[in-house]
Amino acid sequence: MSTEPFKNVHLLNQSNQLVGLYTIIRDKNTSRPDFIFYSDRIIRLLVEEGLNHLPVEPLTVRTHTDKPFDGVSFMGKICGVSIIRAGESMEEGLRDCCRSVRIGKILIQRDEETAKPKLFFEKLPEDIAQRYVFLLDPMLATGGSAIMATDVLIKRGVKPERIYFLNLICSKEGIDKYHAAFPDVKIVTGAIDRGLDENRYLIPGLGDFGDRYYCL
Amino acid sequence: MSASNTPSPTILESTNVAKFYDTGTSEHSSKSKRFQYLPPWTTPYVIGVGGPSGSGKTSVAAKIVSSLNVPWTVLISLDNFYKPLDAEQRKRAFRNDYDFDHPSAIDLNLAYEAILNLKSGKKTTIPVYSFVEHNRIPNKNITIYGASIIVLEGIYTLYDRRLLDLMDLKIYVDADLDVCLARRLSRDIVYRGRDLDGCLEQWERFVKPNAERYLKPKMKDADAIVPSLTDNGVAVELIINHIKSKLQQKSEKHLKELIELGHSDLVNIVEHPSLHELIPTNQVKALITMLLNKMISRYDFVFYFDRIATILLTQVLSDIPVYEKCTIETPEGITVPNSLKCDFNQITAINLIESGDCFMHSLKKTIPNIVTGKLLVQSDSTTGEPQLHFELLPPRIANYNMVLLTEAQMISGASMLMSIQVLLDHGVKLEHIKVVVFLATEISVRRILNAFDGEVDIYVGKLVTKDELNKCDWAKARFVGAKYFGW
Repeated sequence: MSTEPFKNVHLLNQSNQLVGLYTIIRDKNTSRPDFIFYSDRIIRLLVEEGLNHLPVEPLTVRTHTDKPFDGVSFMGKICGVSIIRAGESMEEGLRDCCRSVRIGKILIQRDEETAKPKLFFEKLPEDIAQRYVFLLDPMLATGGSAIMATDVLIKRGVKPERIYFLNLICSKEGIDKYHAAFPDVKIVTGAIDRGLDENRYLIPGLGDFGDRYYCL
Repeated sequence: MSASNTPSPTILESTNVAKFYDTGTSEHSSKSKRFQYLPPWTTPYVIGVGGPSGSGKTSVAAKIVSSLNVPWTVLISLDNFYKPLDAEQRKRAFRNDYDFDHPSAIDLNLAYEAILNLKSGKKTTIPVYSFVEHNRIPNKNITIYGASIIVLEGIYTLYDRRLLDLMDLKIYVDADLDVCLARRLSRDIVYRGRDLDGCLEQWERFVKPNAERYLKPKMKDADAIVPSLTDNGVAVELIINHIKSKLQQKSEKHLKELIELGHSDLVNIVEHPSLHELIPTNQVKALITMLLNKMISRYDFVFYFDRIATILLTQVLSDIPVYEKCTIETPEGITVPNSLKCDFNQITAINLIESGDCFMHSLKKTIPNIVTGKLLVQSDSTTGEPQLHFELLPPRIANYNMVLLTEAQMISGASMLMSIQVLLDHGVKLEHIKVVVFLATEISVRRILNAFDGEVDIYVGKLVTKDELNKCDWAKARFVGAKYFGW
């Protein structure tokens, strides 16, 4: 049973454009260059939406005509953390908005003996505990690796409410499982799919994101 | 001519309280239009210069054009409208046996249609005639658009009643026919390599009788009769002064209309359904703050402008029309019925020079192969009247279902108004036009809403309302393009 309506899930506005972009990347006949381009566009929208949630503080600046303008500026520092390999596809979208942003990496693989995810590698900015973290992984299916990655972040001192998990497609059960572990982490996504098949793939999904983005 | 950095106060101020503007004829609107915008080229000033062959029409016309020194002056020779000859007629023409000096040799219907088109502001092509081939040159046309003054010159310019009715000023250049013959002979023999006998025969058979029969009676329709060039300096000068004062009145009237367009009893334009201002999220607010900061480096300015431009374009594209509903299959073999397909290639963007180009980077990031065009509209430095200098529009522009007009800042709105009109004149539907601007003043938005019945969607990053304008006077200064490109 899903816990809809979800708390702490920010679904992008389902405009014609967004739905049209998903049609392109889900279609098996889409060429790899198009898949990359239109995925990147969705990723950019996810990053922009994530950034919108960061807090700001008042700031007055001097304008071109020397009149003051009462605006705002972002508070605090951010960093990205991508789950290798598919999550790395989202790094460019983050860099397009935040030049020279620090990006940590986490590699998680399924252990062939136990069939459970296993942490192979992690490299994170030293001061990550003081930062807002954008966790990057394009698909939230079962939630296994996302939960393990989030666990790594929290063990390094990151506050759960400062984590934003950005992905292109979620399953309902993935959201529930993930939020059961970390109710305060905000999920920013563009599509919530109806479920998983017997192979734990998203339905309808779009195939293997990493393969389509990097190899096929 | 360069755009001034400060907005023309005449256009921005809105002291006139007249709300209703008599639109004159409004043929295509069933609903009553409260406001209407007529760009200067919708009502070009048409000057006809006629008179017998050799009377010096061309010199008079050329003198008028050079003395007015207005770049949107077009000189059209009625010679372009000579009817193409068939094989038989062509043979006679080569034997000097075809009457080119009869009114019927000229396609006056076509000339009338061309001037009528130009008079209503439409883009018009006119043929090019070859006197060597005695035919129209195939695939060669002159395209005219955006003229504010048209000088039509030719023997029978004042012959057709319909053409006369389109003219604001009719000039007949008169000379004694003997003088005409002398001028004609020296011209034809020295410059056109004809022989004396042929010229004289043509004169006696065709030119002179036609002039007496068809031309001289038309003198009565002229507003001014100018003597042949050698001694007509005073007459031409009088005419030029007259034209100048008429043009001045026209541009004053146009500016007045522009000012009136800024008025409206629309109480709150912020809520107008055609105005889409970016929702001031934390992101948007922070980006605008950085861009307004005078101290920001150019490096940062370009980066953050590209970011907010991308956000703005995303907003514009969110309303992209659905191209079709279809069923797709994912790589896993799962079918997805009722998927919406959008065609991003159905979008074109027209950048207004000077600062519409600021959107180029974000446009290409959003639609990599987007077809783009350019328009240059600038305000005349003396009158403040906006004028179309340059247009380079994609072919078949009317077929796109979204035409974005991009400009970094909209201050008076005058150049955007004109640009919209240019698109309409090229067959683009009003509802397909999307104005995309980073900073806009309320008055500029009002003008566009009023001029086009609120049917053009306007997307702005930040709107500065009338009440805010004093506090936010940066909205009246052009700085975005300069900072982005480093001028």
